[in-house]
Amino acid sequence: MKKSKTINIDMMRKTPRKVPRLGPLAAAVAAITLTACSSKEEAIVVETVDDCVSKTTMTREQCDAAYKSALVEAERTAPKYRSRSQCEAEFGYSQCQSTRSGGMFMPFMAGYLVSQVMSNRGGYYGGTYNPVFHYQRPYSSHNNRIMTADGTVIGRAGQSSYRVGKSSFKPKPKVTRTVSRGGFGSVASAKSSWGGGKRSGGWGG
Amino acid sequence: MLRIPIAERAGWQQKAEEFGFKFHTMHGERYWDESAYYQFTLEQIEKGIEEPTEEIHQMCLEVVEKVIADDELMRRFCIPEKHWDLVRRSWKNGDPSLYSRLDFAYSGKGHAKLYENNADTPTSVFETGFWQWLWLQDNVDSGALPRHADQFNSLQEKLVNQFKDLKFLTPDRTLHFACCKETDEDRGTVQYLEDCAKAADIDTRFAFIEDIGRDPEGNFSDLDDNMITWMFKLYPWEFMFREEFGDYLGGNNIRWLEPPWKSILSNKALLPLLWKMFPDHPNLLPSFFEDELSLASDYDSLVKKPIFSREGANISIINQQSDIVKAKGSHESSGPYGEEGFIYQATHMLPKFGEHYTLIGSWLVDGEAAGISIREDSGPITQDMSRYLPHIIL
Repeated sequence: MKKSKTINIDMMRKTPRKVPRLGPLAAAVAAITLTACSSKEEAIVVETVDDCVSKTTMTREQCDAAYKSALVEAERTAPKYRSRSQCEAEFGYSQCQSTRSGGMFMPFMAGYLVSQVMSNRGGYYGGTYNPVFHYQRPYSSHNNRIMTADGTVIGRAGQSSYRVGKSSFKPKPKVTRTVSRGGFGSVASAKSSWGGGKRSGGWGG
Repeated sequence: MLRIPIAERAGWQQKAEEFGFKFHTMHGERYWDESAYYQFTLEQIEKGIEEPTEEIHQMCLEVVEKVIADDELMRRFCIPEKHWDLVRRSWKNGDPSLYSRLDFAYSGKGHAKLYENNADTPTSVFETGFWQWLWLQDNVDSGALPRHADQFNSLQEKLVNQFKDLKFLTPDRTLHFACCKETDEDRGTVQYLEDCAKAADIDTRFAFIEDIGRDPEGNFSDLDDNMITWMFKLYPWEFMFREEFGDYLGGNNIRWLEPPWKSILSNKALLPLLWKMFPDHPNLLPSFFEDELSLASDYDSLVKKPIFSREGANISIINQQSDIVKAKGSHESSGPYGEEGFIYQATHMLPKFGEHYTLIGSWLVDGEAAGISIREDSGPITQDMSRYLPHIIL
């Protein structure tokens, strides 16, 4: 046979873009906790840079970088709501902010996860510092729980450590300080203005 | 090799949308064309295309080896001197590549003839690896084609496997994918490759070329300020070399796909050098640098190609007797390329099937032949709007 034996067709399907969660999170939460990953490890939740410096072996610069990376990750992955009141219904009064890109609301990051094993081994591991959120919906069974962006409950607020899936520490890109943009693309732009800019294709061939 | 009409699948356009294939029709003209398919024998595929593809790829690597070691050739290939180090280092380090596509004129008989090597930014990879595969599957399922109909197309399988190897060689890095804004075709191509990388369990992100930033140390970043350490760019090296951020290339620790040494292969200067190093090779067309045209006096007609050109732009077919007479209409394509000079290739017309000129793109993943794509045009120069047709082996 000269062709690919199998292709996972469902994986190739481009389902419509995921709409932000609008309903109460709690229903989704129950399902996720049941299928939670078996390979777990201990993590601590660090709330601020100072907290990070005192609780881990990381330096202040490393804690600062970790904090920033968690904030970016939070912006990207936190549950999003159409209105502030919908968000506050689940995360509590004054616990929500508008997204940086605007138009949506998300809870403030309550802190970020640092792996205890990695931290003991000499601290900074340049990986991902995933944000966590503090769920506060009175009378919900998840009230006062700490959850990751995908809605997985990892424990009660204020625990000294949490058992979390190993994927919580998967390396993600390092965050840097961008000082300029737009240094690539000028040749393409000059060439595409040729012929009145009606060029159809891209820059592949 | 036959061109056989076939009924189009009912509702394929909707299916295309479901799979994110947005550019099947561009500017009201069909690009994906399943009103017919090409049929090959296994021998035509294996002896006619697969073997020459792998052999020529090895020959191309010998060309890189030679050019890298020779300043004069680096100049001939129009690699800016300030980037010689980057290109040389990437070759000497053995930076791995992902894929390339060799374009051939092949009629099913005789030797396939190499037109060019799209080694840096080949496209139509989604249409090949996935969409024509699905077309065959659907037509076999519906009984329109026999169950034993095969296709020369292990492209997706090989891409995923190559990404697995690349992940092993590049542990703990996120792979950024990039292309230019405002082109559905490039965006679709890059999305497909990103899907293949994800299937290999690689962490991926996307950035538009125009949005790439730099930090004070000269590292590149995406819109979320994530540092870029590994990047697939569907954007030509020869452009990047000449742009503002080109100055930072080599100073930062980025692994590139395709690697910088591919700039030597995606360059039409490859063709005359191949001809010099492997004269009279049955799969090569005689090709000449502009200042060596005296060597080409035996050939009545030559094809003039810019050193850098994409999608058939700025190519003309010229006649030796009448100086450089630009042939009329369809024999000369217009476009924005040519300032770096030209090469000349002995004219060898594409085979015609009915009214259609047919070009075969032969894919390589790493060094292995991985399948073909077929493009058709009403004129003899295949361009970006030439139609894509599926094929089978029977």
